[in-house]
Amino acid sequence: MSVDLPEVIADRRHLHGLTATMLSDQQLAVTDLFGLRNQGFHSAPGTEEAAALPVPATLLVDRDGTVLWMDLSENYQRRSDPSVVLAAMKTHFDP
Amino acid sequence: MARNKTGTKIGLAAATIAVVTAWYWFYLVDEVALPSDRSLFVVLFLLAAALGVLALVKRTSWFGAAPALLAIAIGLFFPVTMSVSEQIVARDTVIEVGDTVPRFTSIDGSGNAFDSGVLSGHLVLIKFFRAHW
Repeated sequence: MSVDLPEVIADRRHLHGLTATMLSDQQLAVTDLFGLRNQGFHSAPGTEEAAALPVPATLLVDRDGTVLWMDLSENYQRRSDPSVVLAAMKTHFDP
Repeated sequence: MARNKTGTKIGLAAATIAVVTAWYWFYLVDEVALPSDRSLFVVLFLLAAALGVLALVKRTSWFGAAPALLAIAIGLFFPVTMSVSEQIVARDTVIEVGDTVPRFTSIDGSGNAFDSGVLSGHLVLIKFFRAHW
């Protein structure tokens, strides 16, 4: 989920071999439902038209829709190592 | 002329520090290994900017000003981005562990409508990120 427009998603996803479902949320409607709109300084390249950006976050959700685990970035320049997410998936999705 | 050469040398040194530090910064970003304590980066970037200013003060040749200006631009840009990189959520509305994911609709990269109802019964990883850049 990002503020990228669908055409940008379609254009760029192949660069990283991404196969997951990627959704466009430029109006931040879904971001706001999750309460993940960044309340801090809005920094983005000049070409972006989004009013704000989501805080980088990863959620693991069970079959009933309950959030099992969540990783929230306190700083957009630093993200959790993929091994952290994989370990959480192993713990919560395959106990 | 000798002073111009001194300023140019300082400018080149400043640009080298700025470029190498920026390269290492992006390497760590790519490796998802940027440290939480980035003070050394701040010191190096500001040092590059300071040396760039010194180079201009010492006077460079007309083309020798380019490395100095590059060092100043890079040296100031990164610390500024660091100062505005903090992410803040509204603590009273942010989703938490134990909460139920809200039902939502969206559009995928092909322009097709997406309803989160299709996720029911599945283990799901949802990732929010800023944008393609």
